[in-house]
Amino acid sequence: MKENRIQTYLRKLERHLWLRGLADQNDLAELESHLLETVEQGLDQGLSLVAAETQALERFGSVKIVVSTFEKERKSVMQNILLAVAVLAGLFSAYVDSRPTWDDTGILAGGLLMISGLLTLLGHRKPWLIALAVGIWIPLHDIYLSHDFRLLLVLLFPLVGAYGGWLVRLGIRKTLHPA
Amino acid sequence: MPSMIGEALKGHLDLLLLAILAEGPAHGYAVIESLRRRSSGTFDLPEGTIYPALHRLESQGLLHSSWSEDSARRKRIYQMTPKGLQTLAKRQEEWMRFSKAINATVGI
Repeated sequence: MKENRIQTYLRKLERHLWLRGLADQNDLAELESHLLETVEQGLDQGLSLVAAETQALERFGSVKIVVSTFEKERKSVMQNILLAVAVLAGLFSAYVDSRPTWDDTGILAGGLLMISGLLTLLGHRKPWLIALAVGIWIPLHDIYLSHDFRLLLVLLFPLVGAYGGWLVRLGIRKTLHPA
Repeated sequence: MPSMIGEALKGHLDLLLLAILAEGPAHGYAVIESLRRRSSGTFDLPEGTIYPALHRLESQGLLHSSWSEDSARRKRIYQMTPKGLQTLAKRQEEWMRFSKAINATVGI
């Protein structure tokens, strides 16, 4: 059976919300109920089904606008706490790395990867920001001393960790709340 | 460029939503219709952008929602909490002061 425009819109909206960790089945049911009510109102006014659906979607706003509003409104305290922990962990790593007695790059790289992964797994919605907050301090310190920009490659470890944790979280959400 | 009314409205959306819901429980569609009707169509934001604001007000404890099965379609009904009523009174007072100051400044 061919999907109608409202269903297509809702599937797209759900996909975009899900990618940002914002999809919630109750919220989506509420939005669907609203759109169907608007379509019914249009039909009552004598519009064709296509015209009523078009009017409902125009009044509702584009997926981009709605998703961006959800993102802005859901900026929670938890997001800021996780970011603060990322900055502190990154600064601590840079401090440890700067000690003359410290000589275990493998442990440090693994630590950057794991803390970034943990923070996105716990719910931070921007893996790139967590990776930067955790991983930028070591290269900044070392570039300041040696002017060697290849040290930015250190950022690869928190990037892999952050996106890894993010993907695992999305997988868990998908399993718990299948679309 | 976003309209001046649209941008100004976003700053006062909480007050408007609380004021509408102070008159009685309603679902999102009815709240949006009321917002449009009471402003004679001036407050005409994209309807999908109202829901995140309602959810935020609920997470702040100013609204409470429950699902109604009375009609053919399930509806999420919002209603004010005591904290919401207190906040509304405070925001109305702030708005009175603010609008009075603006009117005096622009000479209305």
